[in-house]
Amino acid sequence: MTMIQTSLPKRDPSARLENWSRAFYRFRQSWLSVIGLAIVAVLIVIALVAPLIVPYPEHVAGATDTAARFMPPSAEHWFGTNALGQDMFSLVLVGSQVSLFSGLAVVIIAIAVGGLVGAVAGYFGGWVDETLMRLTDLLLTIPSLILAMAVAAALGTGILNMIIAISITWWPAYARLIRGEVLVKKEEQFITAARALGAGPGRILGRHILPNIISPVVVKASLDMGFAILTVASLGFVGIGVRAPVPEWGTLLSTARGYMPDYWWTALFPGFAIFLAVLAFNLLGDGLRDVLDPKARR
Amino acid sequence: MIRYVIRRLLLLVPMLLGLSVIVFAIARLLPGDPAALAAGPNATPEVLASVQREFGLDKPIPLQYWDYLTGLVQGDWGVSIFTRRPVFEDIVTFLPATLELVAAAMLIAIVLGIPLGLAAAVWRNGVLDYVTRTVSLGGIAMPRFFLGLLLQLCFVTWLDILPLSGRFPLIDLPPEEITGFYTIDSLLTGDWYALRVSLAHLALPALAMSLSPLATIIRMMRASTIEVLQQDYIMTERALGLSSRLILFKYVLKNAMTSTLTVIGLYVSWLLGGTVLVETVFDWPGLGLYATQAILSQDFMPVIGVTLVIAIIYLLSMLIVDLLYGVFNPKVRSS
Repeated sequence: MTMIQTSLPKRDPSARLENWSRAFYRFRQSWLSVIGLAIVAVLIVIALVAPLIVPYPEHVAGATDTAARFMPPSAEHWFGTNALGQDMFSLVLVGSQVSLFSGLAVVIIAIAVGGLVGAVAGYFGGWVDETLMRLTDLLLTIPSLILAMAVAAALGTGILNMIIAISITWWPAYARLIRGEVLVKKEEQFITAARALGAGPGRILGRHILPNIISPVVVKASLDMGFAILTVASLGFVGIGVRAPVPEWGTLLSTARGYMPDYWWTALFPGFAIFLAVLAFNLLGDGLRDVLDPKARR
Repeated sequence: MIRYVIRRLLLLVPMLLGLSVIVFAIARLLPGDPAALAAGPNATPEVLASVQREFGLDKPIPLQYWDYLTGLVQGDWGVSIFTRRPVFEDIVTFLPATLELVAAAMLIAIVLGIPLGLAAAVWRNGVLDYVTRTVSLGGIAMPRFFLGLLLQLCFVTWLDILPLSGRFPLIDLPPEEITGFYTIDSLLTGDWYALRVSLAHLALPALAMSLSPLATIIRMMRASTIEVLQQDYIMTERALGLSSRLILFKYVLKNAMTSTLTVIGLYVSWLLGGTVLVETVFDWPGLGLYATQAILSQDFMPVIGVTLVIAIIYLLSMLIVDLLYGVFNPKVRSS
């Protein structure tokens, strides 16, 4: 028997480049998206280098300076100091680490779990679909913030526990989204073709369906990043979040609440940081939707 | 129509049953021993065992669930380990405050959001459109607890025209309880002083909570109005010489309302679950504060109860939204 060499048709690299440049062009059309992208990029850079560039790294580690309590914003302390004399500018900058990291982790875990459940339900259908989707629907009716608070409180403080708690309430939405997309895609011709060539469910789902439904998931993920950051800050605000010396925006805001009218700067800057981060991811998500999902354009 | 409502209501039963299983399972699977917490740090093993017996925590978990479920149906929702009061009574006490807050916030959002969204769509790319778009972009991203703090700073510290927190001055007697909504109760009893005071307390928390539904309603209303305005039948009506006002309020508004309704329905439950934050900022004595207290002390029964109540309200509000679809869109009615 002779082997017949066949090569898969290669995609023309210049075509891919053109796709990208076209997508980038469409993205640039809306200056709001560009602003969103710019703020997100700055936030990521800040989160990566914050411990190296902040003026008072020792305050981030938990050191206090009681001689300099409640100093209003000045050249020395841009955002003022808090009740312990810690530099708010340093704390807010380093606080971006917890927010961005846990936001990202929540979205990734939610996509992984929700994707698995949704893909299996959508692909196999029948009673598998029924069971998984009824469970998903039920979880969607539970108030997510209260559930996340309850789980986080029971597991104890700590970034990891907080991420687990929020993820539990987040995956059902992705399961719904991905199931819907899989249901549509599995009826396509190329899936029938792949099946005719003998591909198993794992290969069909992994190699043929999932790459084709990535766009709506990316759009939802970038919009969700903002809300994940908001949820992280909310848990911190009600007092269920990271452990004490680690600076986190919600916790900083909650502490500042007690000193509110007189020492407003301790609350204003962490609160504004949350607002800016959520806004930036929302703008980016809107821009990505315009690029990846032109049908949804308004 | 009535048969449809009854069928939908019957469908709620298995959903609630499943919900109770899930919530109970989550509460029980979590680490943490409520009996040990209730008995205190210095409890002897005998005391611990008696506390466990008192709350039925020594029985096997499926049996505990059965006890819980049968109690649930009879209005016995367990006892809060910390307040030592029946959970059902606690919820009945705290629910009206939360409902009043959510209703006020939704009222603000709907009354402002629908006309603003409509106007933004009609005068597209005008000044109003840009203003509302900016507000709604910011409104979605604004954390409610931060907004609450800013409102307190502005209206309490600087302008000094509204009270800082709470639902009613502690030294005064709240209005006679009829519905549990202080504003409505004081209206019903004709107590103008109470009405003024309760509205003043309600204003800031309701405002803090209304911004994000307001932003979403404006966005939805604007998008769907623009879509409806481009439909052929609107052009036909224009060609028939109907006045713009008649077209807008009779035909466009009705059709644009459907998608906005869904958002409103979803927001009711989202707000109910999210009152926790606003109630914390304003010390509003509602379900959110109650749940937070219970969660921080790992008191399971109130957490389960509050979760179930909010889920029931969510399911009911979705049912109402589905029924309202029929009012706005006859096509849905027949199917």
